[in-house]
Amino acid sequence: MSQENRKQLFPSIQPNKAISTSTSEMAGERNPASCYLDERTFRLCCQLFLQHSETIQDGWSWEQIKGTDEGFMKKTVLMPVKPSFLHKQHECSMQDENMVTDDVQANVEDETAGVQAVCEIHAVLRYEYHVLYSCSYQIPVLYFRASTLDGRPLSLEEVWSNVHPNYRQRLQQGPWDTLTQQEHPLLGQPFFMLHPCRTEEFMKPALDLAQAENKRMNYIVTWLSVVGPVVRLDVPLSYSSSAVISLSVSDSTDPEDVQRTC
Amino acid sequence: MSDNAESPTETQKDDPSIQHAATEHTGASDEKKKIDVLLKAVGDAPIMKTKKWSVERGRTVQSLAQFISRFLKLEASEQLFIYVNQSFAPSPDQEVGVLFECFGSDGKLVLHYCKSQAWG
Repeated sequence: MSQENRKQLFPSIQPNKAISTSTSEMAGERNPASCYLDERTFRLCCQLFLQHSETIQDGWSWEQIKGTDEGFMKKTVLMPVKPSFLHKQHECSMQDENMVTDDVQANVEDETAGVQAVCEIHAVLRYEYHVLYSCSYQIPVLYFRASTLDGRPLSLEEVWSNVHPNYRQRLQQGPWDTLTQQEHPLLGQPFFMLHPCRTEEFMKPALDLAQAENKRMNYIVTWLSVVGPVVRLDVPLSYSSSAVISLSVSDSTDPEDVQRTC
Repeated sequence: MSDNAESPTETQKDDPSIQHAATEHTGASDEKKKIDVLLKAVGDAPIMKTKKWSVERGRTVQSLAQFISRFLKLEASEQLFIYVNQSFAPSPDQEVGVLFECFGSDGKLVLHYCKSQAWG
């Protein structure tokens, strides 16, 4: 079939449109040199992320601020730590420790045996993670707050000591991912935040690589897989699968735009 | 791209569980315990002179990152980032053997790495 005939029969097919649209779509219509994310793409990436979370019961949810179109992703995690973690920081920790254990044991009737065992042996911390979009930086930002089970907020010092050893040394040395206490932009409550000033350093190489190899990627998946473990947030490997990365047909204006990752 | 890094034989002696794949003469039992890893630099990261390594399955990503950092002589303030499947950063506690099972192809696991600029 000649090119002419092909155009007459299939006027909507434009050979290179799918590729350029898909990469610019997932990259947030960005300049190849930058690593910024527009808000629409942020939401799309979160949507895909949340769908997968639902599938694997990873516990993420979308929180919408009433009366606005602003929202964020949220996940709460119970994290066992050695009792000495809290003992070091507070004088009355011994008493607190027993109180925590007693309270927890009283309420574990419906808990599984595994969880009960954890509560008896360890102290348990409650970490609440929020993924927000920063309009000023035009990138996502990770906020979190941490407390003991009896509701005592962790100090900055305690949170620092719980940073993954793989990152602790460098975190203390530079502004790479400085942990700071900030007011949550949407809730107005005190949270910890991983400063986003160095996001470009670890996002740009991944974005450039995906673009060079014409592979699609989910910005949020890549970004969270890097920053999450720093503050003990686990992002399971299955998030990297193509199901979380491909755009669904309904999000695309032209069915020809839909591409599958390899 | 940066200059090639030289092979520090000292590092190899310290880490018997990570060995140059080309010189590895393994028996059947060793082959099961180790997997082949191909390291590829992205961004401004220095290219490793030796790219292919045999790594014990139980080795963690953190441990491998430390090895690469020493090999490339990164400064204490520089952070190494490792990506699997090109755009996913595995948890530092993840075992390379698991990554190989999920993302390995043609008998090897391809890992991309980059680094943050030194502070100051």
